[in-house]
This record gives sequence, structure tokens and C-alpha cells, in this order.
Amino acid sequence: MLRAALVAICLAVFPAAAVAAGNTHAVRIEGMKFIPERLEVAAGDIVVWTNKDFLPHSVTAREARVESGDLAPDKSWRFTARKKGEMRYICRLHPVMKGVLVVK
Amino acid sequence: MNSSKIAVALSASLFLVSAFAQDKGGPSDPQIAGIVVTANAIDIDAGKLAKSHTKNKEVSKFAQLMITDHTAVNKQAGALAKKLGVKPEDSPTSQSLKTGAAENTKNLKGLKGAGFDKAYVDHEVAYHQQVLDAIDKVLIPSAKNAELKNLIVKVRPAIAAHLDHAKMIQSSLAKK
Repeated sequence: MLRAALVAICLAVFPAAAVAAGNTHAVRIEGMKFIPERLEVAAGDIVVWTNKDFLPHSVTAREARVESGDLAPDKSWRFTARKKGEMRYICRLHPVMKGVLVVK
Repeated sequence: MNSSKIAVALSASLFLVSAFAQDKGGPSDPQIAGIVVTANAIDIDAGKLAKSHTKNKEVSKFAQLMITDHTAVNKQAGALAKKLGVKPEDSPTSQSLKTGAAENTKNLKGLKGAGFDKAYVDHEVAYHQQVLDAIDKVLIPSAKNAELKNLIVKVRPAIAAHLDHAKMIQSSLAKK
């Protein structure tokens, strides 16, 4: 009850905080594919890529200067999508793997 | 690819197909495990040879990827074989893979510079195509143990991606 009241007060005082914490979306990396290959999110949303393959992968968009570093099997990488537009990315290690993140 | 290289690739491919045919009724699970381990070890060795010979950054990166990825596959295959109590066995197929690898190594060791890069990448294209064909036509249909079959199914997309990646480098080398 007390916690609910506190949350209500916080939301009343800082409504922007509630809006800024965007939705979280998941992209699975499996079978040498980004699943889904194309993902549309709102600016401020969080995208989490998780490597479910037995090989290392990366999320790399050179132009946008986005680089996850090598993701070992079962590792995840969180990214907050801020810049609106279409971001095409690849796995730097396996450049035939491609994905698109659309930020609206 | 010049005509002698095409001849080498073609004869290697025919040799492999006929070797598969000799595994009457398809290879057994221990033989399949032996083929998987051999096929990976061959590409790891080719990758090590390429890394020590090439001066091309793209080729060197690809060679390192082959070492990393095929080592990971063999680690999985080794762990599964141990779990299932399967001891990898030799077969006409694994023997022909080894013979083909020895020929390729001999050929590559006689080459330098751009000639080496082209021969290594051309062979990687042909080799991954052969392995992919073997997976589809022999290994998956013949595997009896479900976990062994699953492992091969799981590995297939990596081999297909390596094939496309090698083709990508092949066409970029052709433009130079």
C-alpha cells in the first residue's frame, strides 16, 4: 500500500521518467540469423540481442558507430535506440548475417 | 579459378561423392562422428596455414574465423560423443577427406601472395560446398541418434554462412 502510494507520488511528480523508460525488445541470434531480422521500435526503446548460437557473434553498424563487441554464446547486449531512422547492421565476424533496426 | 584449379576442385568433389557411396547404407553414427571431427580439423589446419602465409587482411580474418568456428564445432562434437559414449571411427569418407586435405596443403604450400590467397579462398568455397552437400545427402539422413542428428542440423547454418562468406571474399579478390 505504502509502495503503491510512493509510485503514485513519483509518477505525479516525475511523469517524464515513466515515459522515458521505453519498452524493451528482444532479438535472438540463432542459426546464423538475427530473429527478427527487421525490428521497429520507438526512440528511447531498449533492444536486447542474445546470442543463442554456439559461435560468437556481434551487432555491428559501422556507419552508425554501433558495436556490441564479441558476444559469446548465451551473452546479451543492451542498446538504447535513440537516433531515428533505419540502422542496417551485420555480424562483424560473419558479415553474411544482416539485420535492420528501424527507430520511429 | 583457372582450369587446373577447377580440375583439382572437381576431382576432389567427385572423389568425395564416390567415397560417400562406398559407405554402404550410409555411415554409422561412430563414422559420422569421425567425419564431423575430421572435416572440422581439416579446415582448422587450412586456416592456420592461410594465417601464416597470407598478407591480405580479409583473407587472414576469414582464416581466423574458420579456426575459431570449426574449433567450437569440434568442441561440441567431442562433448556429445563423450556423452553418448560414441568413439569417432574412420570411414572411406573421412579417409578421402584426409587425402583431399593433404593435396590441398601441398598445392597451397607451393604458392605465394595473391596466388595463394586465391587458391585458399577458391578451395574454401569448394570445400564448404562439399561439406554442405555431405550434410544434406549423407550425414543428416544417416544419423540414427537424435542428438547427433540435432548437432549436425545445428551446425549446418554455420557451414552455409561460411560458404557465402568465402564466396564474398572470392568475388572481392577477383576485383583486385
